[in-house]
Amino acid sequence: MDVDLKLPGQPIQIPRGPAPQLSNGVYSRDGQVRASLVGIPIYQASTLSIRRVRPHPPTSNSIVLGTVTRLSPIQATVSITVVDGIPLLPGEEFTGVIRVQDVRATDKDRVKMGDCFRGGDVVKGVVISLGDAQSYYITTARNDLGVIFATSEAGYTMQAASWQEMRCPKTGKIEKRKCAKPEGL
Amino acid sequence: MAATSVPSEEIRAATFQRLYPKTYLERFLQENVRPDGRDFLEFRDCSINVGSISTADGSSLVRLGDTTVVCGVKAEIAEPDLDAPEDGFLVPNLDLPPLCSPKYKPGPPSDDAQVISSRLNEALILSGMLPTKSLCIQPGKFVWVLYVDATCINYNGNVFDATLLAMVAALKNARLPKAVYHEETNHVTCSRKLREPLSLSGTPLASTFGVFDSSHLLADPTAFEEPLLETTVTIITDNGGRLLSTSQLGQYLPPEMDVLSECITNAKSRTTEIMKHILAI
Amino acid sequence: MSTNFDRRRINGPEDSFSPVLVDDDEDETKWRPGKPRQSRQPQDIRPIFLQPGLISQANGSAYIETERTKIACAVYGPRQSKNVGYIERGRLNVQVKFAPFSCHKRRAPIRDAEDRSIAVLIHQSLVSSVRLELFPKSTIDVFLTIIENDGIDSCVATGTVAASTALADAGIEMLGLVTSCAATLMGEEIWLDPNHDEATAGASTLVLACMPALNVVTSVWQNGTISPKQGLECMKACQERCETIHSIVAQSLVSNFTPE
Repeated sequence: MDVDLKLPGQPIQIPRGPAPQLSNGVYSRDGQVRASLVGIPIYQASTLSIRRVRPHPPTSNSIVLGTVTRLSPIQATVSITVVDGIPLLPGEEFTGVIRVQDVRATDKDRVKMGDCFRGGDVVKGVVISLGDAQSYYITTARNDLGVIFATSEAGYTMQAASWQEMRCPKTGKIEKRKCAKPEGL
Repeated sequence: MAATSVPSEEIRAATFQRLYPKTYLERFLQENVRPDGRDFLEFRDCSINVGSISTADGSSLVRLGDTTVVCGVKAEIAEPDLDAPEDGFLVPNLDLPPLCSPKYKPGPPSDDAQVISSRLNEALILSGMLPTKSLCIQPGKFVWVLYVDATCINYNGNVFDATLLAMVAALKNARLPKAVYHEETNHVTCSRKLREPLSLSGTPLASTFGVFDSSHLLADPTAFEEPLLETTVTIITDNGGRLLSTSQLGQYLPPEMDVLSECITNAKSRTTEIMKHILAI
Repeated sequence: MSTNFDRRRINGPEDSFSPVLVDDDEDETKWRPGKPRQSRQPQDIRPIFLQPGLISQANGSAYIETERTKIACAVYGPRQSKNVGYIERGRLNVQVKFAPFSCHKRRAPIRDAEDRSIAVLIHQSLVSSVRLELFPKSTIDVFLTIIENDGIDSCVATGTVAASTALADAGIEMLGLVTSCAATLMGEEIWLDPNHDEATAGASTLVLACMPALNVVTSVWQNGTISPKQGLECMKACQERCETIHSIVAQSLVSNFTPE
C-alpha cells in the first residue's frame, strides 16, 4: 500500500525550511503536525493539506450548488446540495440564502429578486459567511456565479442568452435570470 | 482555497446525478443500460447466509446487491386466543433504522416500515408457509409465538424482496426447542439440546419491478431509481411458480406496455433462480 | 406488565414469555466461573473482523465482529443542526439500538435505558477525538445497531472501535483514531476482552478508550470492587491491547482506501 497514506493522528514529517500553512485534514499539536483525515498529504505552494473527498458542511469561500426553494423581495432561499464539488446525501442539504444585496456586483439597489431567480432554479454561488442560526449567506455577485439551470414556463430547459436573460428553446420566449457565465467560455 | 482543485470525473458525474436525477437516469436508459450497469430486467446478485446469530432461534443475512437485511426468529410461549385454541402466532416486523439510509430518522416506525411490515405479514399468511396449528404445544393452554424481526442495515432499494427472502431463510433455519407440557403444574419446559425444524410448506418469494417514464420496465430498483418510478409492481409467487399476490402501487399503466404479464414472466424465472439459493441453505 | 401493543407494528399476543430451558444433562464443555479461561490466555482478545464502508447509503460506516459481538455502525452528516440557535461547535450524536433478536431474551423494539447508557459511554469515548470546532452549526450522527450482544462491556468497547472507524471512513476530521478494550478482574487475574459470562462472573469490569497515536486516554468506565492498584493494572493492560486494536483499525482503513 501507499507509504504516504496517513491516518488520523499519524505524524507528518515536515521538510526543513519555513513552516507550511496548515489547511484541511492536518493539524498541529505540541509542535507535531499530524493528519486528521485518511489520505495522502499534499503540498500546494506552502500549504499542507489532505484532500476531503467526503461531504462536508459549507465554510467561507465554499463553492456551492443548490436549488431555489423560496423567493421573497429581500432574499432567495437555496437548498444546498453540492459543496466544493462534493454532493451531499439526499436529505442532508444545508440551507443558504442569497440576500438582495449579494445577487450582483453592480447596480445593487435596483435588483428585483423576481427578475433574478425562480423557484426550482439551480444556482451556483460562493459562501460569504456562516450566516445566522438558520442559513449560510451566499453570493452570486461574480460573472461565473448565478443560475446554471432553469426550466421555462413552458417546461423546457433554457439556455443563457445574456448575463440577465435566458431563452426557452421551444417557444423562444425570454425569461429574466441572473445567469452564471457557462463554464468553458 | 479549498475549491481550486479540479474535481475528478467521478465526482462530476455524482454532482450531475445529485442535481438532475431524472435526466441522469434518462441518459443511461437511452443507452439501454442502467446506472449500475444492469439490463432493464436484470435483478441484482443475491446472497443468503443463515444461522450466524447465536442469540436467535433462527437467523439469516440477505444481500440483494448492497441492500442488506438481517433477520432473527425468536420463539416465545403464550396462551392461544380463546377462539383459536390450537393456533400459534407468527409476528413479522421490519425495522428501517436511521442507520440504513439518510431517508429515515430516529423515532417510531416510519410509514415505509409500517407498510412493508404489513405487506410481509400478508405474504407470509397468504402463502400458508407455516401453518399456525403446527405451533401448538397444548391446545387451549400454550402455543409458540414466533417473532420474525428483520432489520435493514443498508437500504439500497427493493427492501421488500430482500426482507421477504430474509424472513423465509430465517424460518427455514429456525429450530424450536422440544417443548413438554406438565399437566400437574400447568407449565411448559423446553429442552436445551433437542431442537426441531419448523414444519414449513411453500416458499413465498417476491419480485419487484418499477415503471419509469411510462416506457421502461426496471426490475429490482435501487434507492436512486425508486423515487423516480411512477409505478411499482410486486409479484409474489410460491416455489412452484404459482401466483400468490400481485400488487401495483402508483399511476395507471398504459395497456400497450402489457406490464403485468411481462412482470409475471420475469418473476417466475427469478423465483427459479432464488430457489436454488434457498435449497442450498 | 403493560402490553407492548403498538398499532404501527404487527402485534403478537398480549403477553408471551421466553421458554424455560431445562438442562437435560450438564454440558461439560461450557465455561463456568472458577474454571480457567477457555481457548485463550487471560491477556488475549477475541479475533476482530472489521470492515469499513459496507453501508453504501451512509457517509461512512463500519461493521465489526468479535466472535459473538456483532455491531454495524453508520455515520451521517455533518448535517445542519435544526431547531437550535447558532452554535460554534458541532454536535456529536450517538444512538445505539439493539436488534430484537440480539439478546437471549427478545428485546421488544422500544428504546430503553440500556441503549442510552451504552450510547453515552461511546459518546464519551469519541467526543474528545472529533474536531468539532470545524463543524459549526452542524451535527454528526453516529448510529449503531447491535446485531448480537455478548456483554455490555464488549458492546461499549467494540462499538467505540466501530464508531471511530466509521468516522474516519466518513472523512470526519479527528485528532486520532479511538480504540477501546474491556477487562474483568477474575480472582487475582486480569482477563481482557471478556464475553458476557466472564464479565458477569468477574468482581469488577473496566472499559478504557484511548487514542494510541497521541498516547491519551479518552474514557475509563469501571464497575464493581477493585483495589486502586489493580485498577491501574487493568488500565495499563487495556491500553497496551488498544495498540493492537489500533493496528487492526489502521489496516482496515488502509486496505479500504481508494486513491482517486
